[in-house]
Amino acid sequence: MRIPNLATVFAFCLLLATGPVAAVPEPRALPHPDSPARQQEPDRYSDARARMVREQIASSGWGREAVRDRRVLEAMRRVPRHRFVPEALTDHAYADRPLPIGYGQTISQPYIVAAMTELLQMEPGDRVLEIGTGSGYQAAVLAALTDSVFSIEIVAQLAAEAAVRLRKLGYVVSARQGDGYFGWSEHAPFDAIVVTAAASHIPPPLVEQLAPGGRMVIPVGPPLQVQSLVLVEKKADGSVTQRSLMPVRFVPLTRSG
Amino acid sequence: MTVAGTRSRARGSDVGSGSSSAGPQLLGSAVFLLSAVGLAYQIALMRVLSVAQWHHFAYMIISVAMLGFAVSGTALALARRWVTGREATLFRVTATLLPLALVGCYALSQRIGFETFELVSQPHQLWNLVALYLVLALPFALVSLCIALGFLLRPQRVGKVYFLTMAGSGVGALGVIVMLGAMGPEKIPYALSAIGAVALLMVGYDAGPRGRVLSGIGLLALGLLAATAGVQPIRVSSYKGLSYALQLPDARVVAQEVSPLSVLTAVESDLIRETPGQLSAYPMQRLGMLPEQTALYFDAGAVSPVHRFDGDLDRFAFLDYVTPALPYRLVERPRVLVIGAGGGTEVLNALAHEAEHVTAVEVEPNVFRLLGKELAEFSGGLYERPDVDPVVAEGRGYLEARPAARYDLIQISLLDSFNASAAGVHALSESYLYTREAVELYLSRLTSDGVLAITRWLSTPPRDAVKMIATMIEAAERAGLEPARHLVAVRSWNTATLALVRSPLTAAQVRSARAFASSRWLDLIIAPDLQPAEVNRFTVLEEPVYYDAARALLSSERSRFYRDNPFFVRPATDDRPHYARYFRWKTLPALRAVGVAGWGGFVEWGYVALVATLFQAAIAALALVLFPLWLFGRPPRGEARGGRGPVVVYFGALGLAYMFLEIAFIQKFMLLLDYPTYAVAVVLTGFLLFSGFGSLFADRRRQSSPRPLVRRAVLAIGGVSVLFLALLPPLFEGLSAWSDGIRIAASLCLLAPLAFAMGLPFPAGLQTVSGGSRWLVPWAWGWNGAASVVGAALATLLAVHLGFRIVVLLAIALYAAAAVSMPALQRAQATVIREGEPDPVWKGD
Repeated sequence: MRIPNLATVFAFCLLLATGPVAAVPEPRALPHPDSPARQQEPDRYSDARARMVREQIASSGWGREAVRDRRVLEAMRRVPRHRFVPEALTDHAYADRPLPIGYGQTISQPYIVAAMTELLQMEPGDRVLEIGTGSGYQAAVLAALTDSVFSIEIVAQLAAEAAVRLRKLGYVVSARQGDGYFGWSEHAPFDAIVVTAAASHIPPPLVEQLAPGGRMVIPVGPPLQVQSLVLVEKKADGSVTQRSLMPVRFVPLTRSG
Repeated sequence: MTVAGTRSRARGSDVGSGSSSAGPQLLGSAVFLLSAVGLAYQIALMRVLSVAQWHHFAYMIISVAMLGFAVSGTALALARRWVTGREATLFRVTATLLPLALVGCYALSQRIGFETFELVSQPHQLWNLVALYLVLALPFALVSLCIALGFLLRPQRVGKVYFLTMAGSGVGALGVIVMLGAMGPEKIPYALSAIGAVALLMVGYDAGPRGRVLSGIGLLALGLLAATAGVQPIRVSSYKGLSYALQLPDARVVAQEVSPLSVLTAVESDLIRETPGQLSAYPMQRLGMLPEQTALYFDAGAVSPVHRFDGDLDRFAFLDYVTPALPYRLVERPRVLVIGAGGGTEVLNALAHEAEHVTAVEVEPNVFRLLGKELAEFSGGLYERPDVDPVVAEGRGYLEARPAARYDLIQISLLDSFNASAAGVHALSESYLYTREAVELYLSRLTSDGVLAITRWLSTPPRDAVKMIATMIEAAERAGLEPARHLVAVRSWNTATLALVRSPLTAAQVRSARAFASSRWLDLIIAPDLQPAEVNRFTVLEEPVYYDAARALLSSERSRFYRDNPFFVRPATDDRPHYARYFRWKTLPALRAVGVAGWGGFVEWGYVALVATLFQAAIAALALVLFPLWLFGRPPRGEARGGRGPVVVYFGALGLAYMFLEIAFIQKFMLLLDYPTYAVAVVLTGFLLFSGFGSLFADRRRQSSPRPLVRRAVLAIGGVSVLFLALLPPLFEGLSAWSDGIRIAASLCLLAPLAFAMGLPFPAGLQTVSGGSRWLVPWAWGWNGAASVVGAALATLLAVHLGFRIVVLLAIALYAAAAVSMPALQRAQATVIREGEPDPVWKGD
């Protein structure tokens, strides 16, 4: 008769109890994108970035309309997106998809960032407020277009990391940790507001802090799946309209109208 | 409980000492307990995974883990030569490992960083998924190994062991519901492990010194494991509502309650603002901030806010700005029924609109308990007011049971979370709340000028609200109303509220609805005399798709609209109650055009998961069961090679048919038993227990020819199933007013004859095979197991597309096919192997 090796049983128990995957921290924090090694490296992704703009953003197709605003395209070509994603995902930074940045937050897919920025119709010198800094990528793109960018993030760790990252990369963004619902009244009104965080309703204080002629953009959809963009416009007379836009089109629907 | 093993010749001293071993004396009891533990573990894990991820992934993972049953049967068969003579030892070793695996695999599974949403963007998540499968499959493989060994140890009493397995599973299904009411799902693996330890003691009871040492070590290891690891909390996906809430700097969990239905978590934070809809027109500076909220999270996902309430209803003026306020423009001082009352938003909405009385129906009993205790002060005793009547019930069942009740307003608002709705994760969950028949029922419970108001999330591209418009229109028509004169609907940026009025809308009502819409910056979707100029003013869509859809649905274009729509927007019915299924295969090619990244936004995850489940079950069954059988399942030298065909047909058909009927009738009985969890438990227990009795009966009659028995069983199954299809709806209506206990008893009585008959063909067939070409026994088990696993997923998919009626009819056809193949099965059993002879039929090792 054979009785299994006791050591095997105990090894099994130990494996179960401690396990090789026990090192996963909670809540999930991804490796810091600004490790010294990455600071030094030359921008070996400039080709990937140019290709991203050419193939994903500036050309129609794949059920989407091309982004045409030259300044937005230039900003997308310049901002090093790979510096804003977790280190493990650096090689996917320029792929046509959103990426997780930890804490259940995401960095939107490049096309969505460009499309949202284009919708804001920013002029140099415009005051822009971002709700939901996340990795700071959208803020960097905004900062490439104007020198007056304000950004609020509720998750303290993300806020701190993004502020450091933006500063290191030389983007001028006033970033703080806090509750975006009430906007940033000290710096209001804003010519443009971009909300990247989930909201059950569009916060009335944000509509209030929108300058006459100002525009606000909010993506709608579950994490990693933007389904539509809502554009809120405040007319010169203070009246407000909203437009619901589909950034990525589902072909048969548009055909049948 | 039956104690098997009285025929055992084995005593402690001869553990594992060759083919004469009959295993532990208390083998029967141990098999019973282990079966109970196995099924309870499955249900508990489903709950764990529903909290950790979303429930469709729970089904997907469990279904594959369940393959463990089929796999271990095959593995035993393959290693038959080695196993022979060691059955008892193996049984004891497996029983020793099981309690450890129950706890360890659960704990390990909660350390795997799997994220559903990242599957598309992060291919490496696939490996996490595979790891989850493997970890979760182990305990099931061990349970089934024990059971399979039980069959080997009692080859002459297969029917009895089968009965104990079925009875144990049935008791496990019911027992785990009781446990889920008493403790969180994360604690259940530990409790089950303790029960497993009891089984281990039974196994070790007559095992002799070495066996006892083995059980002792197992128990010691278990104690050590539990003491060092502690209860592993559920790892909630970082994309679920509760995870987001807990990241808020001031978030605090104020209470957590568990029930078999859900884990309810109350989170307090100044930053929680869950008021879906549109408040852009709300003059916050004049009317004040929104009251503070405490959020109730159901299974860490769907959220329902509790508002701070001090009796001052003026603070809830903001509720007049969101879409569910629409019906209050159509009725005055109404008596309201709120279905899915949750934290009470719609109750406050009713009170703020001067409702005379509110009946608040909520399916999760802990909501009222929480608001009466921990949140009593915060919620201002909302559910204790004289004008509010809280009722723990499922909305449809509550109304079904009260034919005389009448309300001025029935309000159903946003019962699932936005993310779940937008990602389509409910695509395969059936909801009898939103079927055409349900809407007809609601209409019949309204006063003569009463209103039914349903609020849904808007999805992009539009489908959810479109389906609800279609449902209301068709239900109104069937109730003899002219829909165009009874419907009014508005939309905001993310919600739509549809109101169906019992009597034709008056000019004053239409005026009032129009004024409401324009003052709140909402767009009308449908209303009498609606002009195209007024349908796309505030939240401007590229096309007024909702208005267009409503117009098409109200015209003679309806069937063309259904046919040409890229989504499935026909109303759900009681026969096809999958409201959230929109996916159509014909639009799949079009999805390719939006590219991988865009694709994620347009796909119903629930549906994808279902199809994926079917595929992976089929592939795994092929690779792990059928391929090894084909490779190694050869007859011994000198025996005829034939006979596989009838075995495959007979046992494959039985496996599919059993699952088809079980799943179809679980769905059907949900209508009578209201609570889905209870329905599953009661129906499952009924099926397993009475099928178990069936197999025991077949076992008792094993001397006589099985052919007439199978024929009669199949006739009975067909007859009862057809009767059920015709008679269950009126029968349920008649029973709906009775108490829970009576309805459960009635369900069991109804199921008993059917399940009994369904329990007969399998053991009868198995007796036939094991009495003849015994090398075919693994073929029988393997094909039956593989067909069951595939059948479970296939039944759901067929029900989504064809309805439950067709699934039942298919099951009857499959049973008939099995009955027809019975003579062939008998003919093939040419040689009879004498009892007790060693059985060197497996050339594999």
